[in-house]
Amino acid sequence: MQDCFELDPLVASTRQYEFRCPIHGFIHLNDWEMGIISERAFQRLRRIRQLAWTDYIYPGGMHTRFEHSLGVMHVATLLYDSIVRNSRELLESEMKYDEIGFGRYRKLVRLAALLHDVGHGPFSHAGEDLLPVNERNEQYAHEHYSAAIVRTLLKSAIEDHPDCNNYGFTAEDVAALIEGTAGAKQGIFWRDIISSQIDADRMDYLLRDSHHLGVAYGKFDLHRLVSSVRAIPGIRGASARLGISEGGFHAAEALVLARYFMFTQVYFHKTRVAYDVHLRGALREILPNGKFPKPEGAELREFMKWDDWRVLGHLADGRGGDHGERLRERRHFRRIHATNEACTAEDLADLQKIRAELGSMIAAEESASKSWYKTGKTDISVFSEREVFPLSRYSSVIANMKSNGQILLYVKPEDVAAGSAAVRKALGKS
Amino acid sequence: MSTDVNRLAVITWLAGNCGGRGRTALMKFCYFLQVVRGVPLGYRFTLYSYGPFDSDVLSDLGSAEAMGCVTSTVVYFSGGYGYRIEAGEFAEKMQEIGRDFIGAYADDLRWVVDHFGSWDASDLELASTLVYADREAYRDEAELTVQKLSQRVRELKPRFSIGQIEGFAERVRSLGILQSIR
Repeated sequence: MQDCFELDPLVASTRQYEFRCPIHGFIHLNDWEMGIISERAFQRLRRIRQLAWTDYIYPGGMHTRFEHSLGVMHVATLLYDSIVRNSRELLESEMKYDEIGFGRYRKLVRLAALLHDVGHGPFSHAGEDLLPVNERNEQYAHEHYSAAIVRTLLKSAIEDHPDCNNYGFTAEDVAALIEGTAGAKQGIFWRDIISSQIDADRMDYLLRDSHHLGVAYGKFDLHRLVSSVRAIPGIRGASARLGISEGGFHAAEALVLARYFMFTQVYFHKTRVAYDVHLRGALREILPNGKFPKPEGAELREFMKWDDWRVLGHLADGRGGDHGERLRERRHFRRIHATNEACTAEDLADLQKIRAELGSMIAAEESASKSWYKTGKTDISVFSEREVFPLSRYSSVIANMKSNGQILLYVKPEDVAAGSAAVRKALGKS
Repeated sequence: MSTDVNRLAVITWLAGNCGGRGRTALMKFCYFLQVVRGVPLGYRFTLYSYGPFDSDVLSDLGSAEAMGCVTSTVVYFSGGYGYRIEAGEFAEKMQEIGRDFIGAYADDLRWVVDHFGSWDASDLELASTLVYADREAYRDEAELTVQKLSQRVRELKPRFSIGQIEGFAERVRSLGILQSIR
C-alpha cells in the first residue's frame, strides 16, 4: 500500500495522524486536516449513511460518508502524485505549474476531496430530490451545500491554521474546486480528480461499497489504475485532461465494468430503489414544506441539523406518513414491470400500454437514467506512443456497452396480483 | 412529455442539423442553448479545464444512440481521435415524439447552429468558458471589461496569452451574449 503523506513538500514538520481504513489500510493526515475533520460540520458525516436503506437488502451496508470522505482524500492524493509523476512536463507547459504550484495544488486537491461530500443530506442521495431550487429555478445539488459549508462553517478551520500560510489559498479556492466555478483558477485542471469518469470518488465508493455489502462486483485493480493515470495532451487545440497510459487499459476497463455491475446489482436493485422511494416520501412528510433548507445563511445552519439520527427519530415517532410506516414494517412497493436495460423504442411502446392498463395502481416509476449512480457513455482517453485513442479501441466490451435506460414500475404489495394481470393483458399475454 | 425525452429530441435534432460534429460540440451547443438562449434542458453544467460540462449530456447521447436516434462513430486523425455524431435510423421518430418542444425552441436551435455550427472544438471550449465566467460575474453583480473577463479566463487557461483571449472575447462579445460587460 502506498502512503501519501511523505511527499508533501511544503510542510516539513507538522504532526501526523492516521486512521485505519478497511479498504486502504492507514490513511494519513496532518494536524491541519485533523482540525478540519474534528469540526462539527465534518463529524456530522458519521451520522449519514453512504447507501441509505441498502442494508435492508445487503445487511452490511451500514457504512457512512465519514469513512468514504477519508478514502476519497487518500485516493485523490494517490492519483495526484501519479499524474504529476507521469506527466510533469505537460502540466508545466499547459497549466504553467512550478514546484511550489505542485505542492499547493496537491494540498488543495486533498482538501477538496476530503470535503466534497460534506453537504450531503440525511441518507445521502436518497433525499436529494428534496433539495430546493435557486433563484434561477435550478435545483441545488449536494455539491452546492458542500461548497457553502466550506465557505462559511469550515472557513476558519481552513484559513486560520498556520499551515495555510504555506499554501496561500483560501476556503473559497477549495469551494470553487468542489463546485466547479471560475474561482478555481489554475486549479481547475484537477477537478477531474474530484468529479469525472476516473475520479477518486468513484474509485473509493466502488471498492468500499463492495467491501461492506459483501459483493465482489465493484472490485478492480486500484493500484494499477492509479499508476497509469496521467494528463493527456489536448487534441487539435483542446485542453489537456485526465486519461490513462496504454498499460492501464485493462484496469480502466475493469473500473467501467465494476460500475456497471454495481449499478445493476446494487444501486439500481429493484428493492433498494423501492426503499429510496419510501425514504423520499417519508422525508417529504417530515421536512417543513417538504423541502430541505437552502444552502445560504441561517437556512444552511438549519440544514446542518438534518442527519440520519434526526430523521430516524421522526420515523420512530410515526411522523413519516405511509412511506415511513412502510420503511418501519418492511412493507415496500413491489416491482411489477421492468423494461430491458438497453431500452428500445418497442420497450417504450410496451411501457405506454402497461402504464395505461395499470392506471392508478402505479405507485412509483423509477428510471435508471435519472439515478445518481447511472452509467452513461464511457470516454476514457488512452495515451500510447504520443497518440491518444479511446478506451473502446482497446476493449470490445467497452465498445459494445450501451447506456442503461431501464425503467421500473412499482405497485403496492396488495396490488401485485391485479397488477400482474394488468401487465399480462397489456402485453397481450392474458 | 418528460424533460428527458425533450433532451433526446434536442440531441437528435443537433445530430441531424450540425453536419456530423463531435461530443465537445454537442456539449457546448447544449450549454449555449440552456444558458444563453434559456432552453429548459435541465442540465447542471459545472466548469472544467475544458469548459462547461455535464455528464448527463453524454448519458443522453448514449440513450439516443441505444435507441437508434443518433449514430456515433470514432474518427481517427494524426495524434488523436474524435467522434462524428449523426442522425440515426429512428431520428424521425424521436423528432416526432419531441415535436412540440423542438417547435417551441426552433429559433434557438437554429441560432446555435448558425452562430457556432462551424466553430472547432477548441474555439467552442474557449467561447463557452468565457460565457461561463461571464455569467458568474453577472450573478455576482460584477461589471467587467473585456480585459477583466479575459484575465479571469486566462487564470483558468494559462496556455493562452492574454492577447489571444481578448481577441476571442471580442469575437464572442460581438454576438451580444456577454452580460457582465457594459
